[in-house]
Amino acid sequence: MGEKFDIGYVFTFFPKLAGTLQTTLIIVGGALLTSLIVGFLVALPRLYKVPVLQRLSQLYASFFRGTPILIQLFLFYYGLPEILKLVNIDVSRAPVLVFVILTYGLHTGAYVSETIRSAVASVDRGQVEAAYSVGMSGYQAFTRIVMPQALAIAVPVLSNVILALLKDTSLAFSLGVMEMTGKSQTLAALTNHFVESYISLALIYLVISMVLERLLIILERRLLRHESRAADPFPVFRRERFRRIRQWFTRERSVRLREEAQ
Amino acid sequence: MIKLTGITKSFGRQQVLQGIDLQVEKGEVVVILGPSGSGKTTLLRCINYLERPNEGRIEIGDFEVDCGRASKKDIYALRGKTAMVFQHYNLFKHKTVLENVMEGLVIVQKMPKETARRRSVEVLEKVGLGEKLDAYPSMLSGGQQQRVGIARALALNPEVILFDEPTSALDPELVGEVLAVIRRIAKEGITMIVVTHEMGFARDVANHVVFMDGGVIVEEGAPRDIFNKPREERTKQFFKRIMPEPAYSI
Amino acid sequence: MKLDPSFIWEALVKLLPVIPTSLLITAVSVLCGFVIGTVAAFIRIYKVPVLHPIASAYVTFIRGTPMLTHLLIIYFGLPLMIDALSSQLGLGFRSASIPMIDFAFIAFSLTAGGYMSEVVRSGLLTVNRGQIEAAYAVGMTTPQAIRRIVFPQAMAASIPNLSNAVIGMLHASTLAFTVSVVELFAKAQIVASTNWKFFEAYLAAAIIFWGLTVLIERVAVFLEKRVNSYNRGGVA
Repeated sequence: MGEKFDIGYVFTFFPKLAGTLQTTLIIVGGALLTSLIVGFLVALPRLYKVPVLQRLSQLYASFFRGTPILIQLFLFYYGLPEILKLVNIDVSRAPVLVFVILTYGLHTGAYVSETIRSAVASVDRGQVEAAYSVGMSGYQAFTRIVMPQALAIAVPVLSNVILALLKDTSLAFSLGVMEMTGKSQTLAALTNHFVESYISLALIYLVISMVLERLLIILERRLLRHESRAADPFPVFRRERFRRIRQWFTRERSVRLREEAQ
Repeated sequence: MIKLTGITKSFGRQQVLQGIDLQVEKGEVVVILGPSGSGKTTLLRCINYLERPNEGRIEIGDFEVDCGRASKKDIYALRGKTAMVFQHYNLFKHKTVLENVMEGLVIVQKMPKETARRRSVEVLEKVGLGEKLDAYPSMLSGGQQQRVGIARALALNPEVILFDEPTSALDPELVGEVLAVIRRIAKEGITMIVVTHEMGFARDVANHVVFMDGGVIVEEGAPRDIFNKPREERTKQFFKRIMPEPAYSI
Repeated sequence: MKLDPSFIWEALVKLLPVIPTSLLITAVSVLCGFVIGTVAAFIRIYKVPVLHPIASAYVTFIRGTPMLTHLLIIYFGLPLMIDALSSQLGLGFRSASIPMIDFAFIAFSLTAGGYMSEVVRSGLLTVNRGQIEAAYAVGMTTPQAIRRIVFPQAMAASIPNLSNAVIGMLHASTLAFTVSVVELFAKAQIVASTNWKFFEAYLAAAIIFWGLTVLIERVAVFLEKRVNSYNRGGVA
């Protein structure tokens, strides 16, 4: 299968794949927007312990975190039109991209809601008490004191969620969306240079991930400027102290496969 | 003048406050002493409604509230007349020293920003932190943080400042600077209610000492009387445990 | 096309026999990934010369690129390498004789290794330096201290991350369909298209994954309670 390896193809494919980058970014952007809105709305009932809604939002988060994105894509692509048909809405002509963005949005929204919920929960109770003690109302305490701090806690986790979303979009090809991965498969099949095409694809993702991660770190720093860079009190391996902090590939992160929102 | 009448509070089945009556005159410094679990911190937190008392009345100046049916408006009004200094400082972590002090003035008291700023700087200079206006709390020592906490309370110009064990989270060498600041404020005639374990401070600064145990006020009076000749057995026991030597003066 | 709830059940039954395939892919990739990840983590923590930049680059590449690309590169690249090698050495071995699922094993293990390396590393870094000093103080060597004192504590602290990694790999095992391995997702596709009941078939697959995920989470919580019992004191 395939022709002899020729590194030249990696570079020829590069611009061709980059041409479909737009589609990938549209999916990422659209899904991100959807997920932030959905995630925030879904987090609210759990923050305020609204009886029935709280259970529903738990169920939502559990389902979207508990099943593979690939299955969600197919489930929504085939299932949503049928469900909507029951209430007489015809979406069978809607472009695939809409389903894809919606699915990624709902998938990522589950992680966003968990992140928001746990970030708010992790803000020290004393902060609210201090806000009350200077006379603030519950709403003022939430918007002025709790939310900004929760955001600062959530941003590093959200960064990981966004990077995971970027990589997950590589699965949209399975529904026939011509984003970068779909394009790379076409190129591979046309030229019979499979490996080169996929290496090229991987490199593009690598570059975008790195750029995106840089941007997110800058954002993080701006939001976290109130946290002084406290030294790791007792690292078990002393040499660790000398590691170049924040060098992007040595950054400590939680597992990105499935972000844990704690 | 502050007057508490019949304040009760229970957590579940456990009654933490069993009907507390307390009167504090304007400009007085009241120190509340007592073993841990005696309800002294809960009492303090009831005064500004961080804990909701079950029953009782709270009067501050000409404002009066029946705890059984306090509305939101009452609670905000009560908090507007009090300020609190916390054991763990509870500075707003995402705001600078200056912003911490200004926050309540601008957001709650609706003071114009410039006025609030001047007032805040003035108060921060008073606690010796005029140099640290733009620092974030995480860059400060515990003693400095607590002084910001005091400035934040002071700036609000409340009828009373409530101190909840203001030095017990501090390293021993930092206790002095915080106590010095509280002493200085006390001299300015600001009404204060202080929960503390610092006996020397209590003897020195308090006009009135309250000893609590088991959710009731066991005895109260002038510091000299309470420290030197406590009447109640429980008070004597407490002092014996906390000060093995006969009460010493500083 | 009408919703057919009874077919969900039918599809579930048809999917059951391939659950072991999905679990096998998950287990192999998690276990191999753990070994690879641990090695990479130690190389990076101890800054082993030469190997250290390689390990860093490996982790960076794996984490910066979609898992699908790892699978595709291995699937198409490895045979090229093997065939070239075997014809040069004059061996009669052909890559075509390698079962498809082996490519999934290899690729997913490499993927898992990249992520596991971070799990292991952050776990090791949570262990207090005092622990290793105490181990030295009772006369242990460094390998002994790490194996007997640091590593167990690091793993206990890493249980939530490990369970997330396992769940991640379980979900990722669906990618194996691209190299024609019939695991849960591929089977669901087959069931869906042969019966023209797509929604029901995918729903059945989703239910199975959901159940397995919840199960893994429960086990993780249970394990965490068990290993952390020493943190909380108490009897026995």
